[in-house]
Amino acid sequence: MPKILEVKNVSKHFRLHIQNNKRIAALDEVSFDMEQGEILGLTGKSGSGKSSLMKCIYRTYLVNSGAIVLTTASRGPVDLARASEHEVIEMRKTEMFYCSQFLSVIPRVPAVDIVAEPLARKGKTTDEARALARDLLDRLGLPRELWDAFPATFSGGEQQRVNIARAIIAAPRFLLVDEPTASLDLKTKDVVIDLVLALKTQGASVVLITHDQHTLERMSDRRLHLEHGRVAEVIHA
Amino acid sequence: MNDNDTGWLLRVRNLTKIYGDPISNSVQYTGPKFGSNICPETDAIVACAEINFDLYPGEVLGVVGESGSGKSTLVQLLYFDQAATSGEVRFSALDGGQTNILTLSNQRKRHMRNHLMGMVYQNPRDGLNFNFSAGGNIAEKLLMAGNFHVGRIRERASYLLEKTEVPVKRMDNTPATFSGGMQQRVQISKAIANNPPLLFLDEVTSGLDVSVQAKVLDLIRHLQRELGISMIVVSHDLAVIRMLTDRTMVLKNGRIVEAGLTDQILQDPQDAYTQLLVSSLL
Repeated sequence: MPKILEVKNVSKHFRLHIQNNKRIAALDEVSFDMEQGEILGLTGKSGSGKSSLMKCIYRTYLVNSGAIVLTTASRGPVDLARASEHEVIEMRKTEMFYCSQFLSVIPRVPAVDIVAEPLARKGKTTDEARALARDLLDRLGLPRELWDAFPATFSGGEQQRVNIARAIIAAPRFLLVDEPTASLDLKTKDVVIDLVLALKTQGASVVLITHDQHTLERMSDRRLHLEHGRVAEVIHA
Repeated sequence: MNDNDTGWLLRVRNLTKIYGDPISNSVQYTGPKFGSNICPETDAIVACAEINFDLYPGEVLGVVGESGSGKSTLVQLLYFDQAATSGEVRFSALDGGQTNILTLSNQRKRHMRNHLMGMVYQNPRDGLNFNFSAGGNIAEKLLMAGNFHVGRIRERASYLLEKTEVPVKRMDNTPATFSGGMQQRVQISKAIANNPPLLFLDEVTSGLDVSVQAKVLDLIRHLQRELGISMIVVSHDLAVIRMLTDRTMVLKNGRIVEAGLTDQILQDPQDAYTQLLVSSLL
């Protein structure tokens, strides 16, 4: 299998100028490769650098050194650590999707439209996109009366369903998911896992953060265990 | 310089505005490093300097900074409300971007303003004529772009008012009789009347109460999606920036101190001033 991602010697720290230049270390020389179609689990205690690593890949965080090379469909290898902002925006629109731990969306937009949005960007009509969004929300067990409501007031589990639906609806080539199954019941957990595994069979590659053993065992092909911002262990499933 | 292989809509290079008597060192002795935009030798005010960026079609760019950072000056220079001291601005919708639009004649600048740009000001009185009706204000913009058919003008005006949720039956009232939120909506109607590819929004929700603010922001977002207009959004409010923009530039003392993807600016700010700004977010 060809490589989808190569992370080379990535280091990241935060420099807090307004707090006496305090330095907070996040990642220390992290390196790993991922094959296309692989699901890579990131494990480790809180504060070990899992989410920081994911945010560096997505460019929400700027790395201090190292390279993050994504093999894109449209442009071949792109170093996300150095790509222009417009290139990163383009990647985010077309092939890289980040599903954060908590739903953070534009306020006052109905659930169905939040889920449908990535499809609209891929050129589907509003009606087609909404129909597919409703379908997916149905499969994830979000009560029908919530489809047209604003998710700000939803429960944690309901928001999570919207979040996941939005992440997978447009079948991204490269998916970053942070705790996709936290606050879901076992049955819905399995629905989510099956949906992501179905993406994988279509060739999608996934970086996964989860504290849930069941999710980890069913989904990940390989695990990267982080400790204090370093790769402590690589575990093959 | 003139080749547009990356497809930008607007390219800004070294845009500078200085009030008063600049000397050759005015730019060098001002800026965030000196914590001031006042030239120590001549008291000239360097409102903005060394501004460089590209804006892409359909992109929404945020400009944040405190009062006096130069953010309003920046959009006023681009909209020709003020004359730039120096710099280059290219607009791909004009000559494919070959001309520095700052050097155009006043007549051609007016033509660009009327056909290719729209501006929404913080104060509705800057963007609207309060002696005209709401419809009359929109008609003015349409007339300036060469539409003289009265029936079609009224039709377009009522379409725009409807789109911006201003009751069409109030079309013949003057904006002075409108609420602040409605005035802002009329201003937006007027600004987009000629389908410009580029819209400037200068603190458009400041001074509105929160529920009205939310509705105006929703309207802007909706219009952006539907019409695909490129926008430059000036605001001191990071919540507005977060909601509307893809990329953000942070201005201080007339300079860009940091620019990046909006989520990066908010979650991993690099510059000390940006960190202060983000930590001040409620």
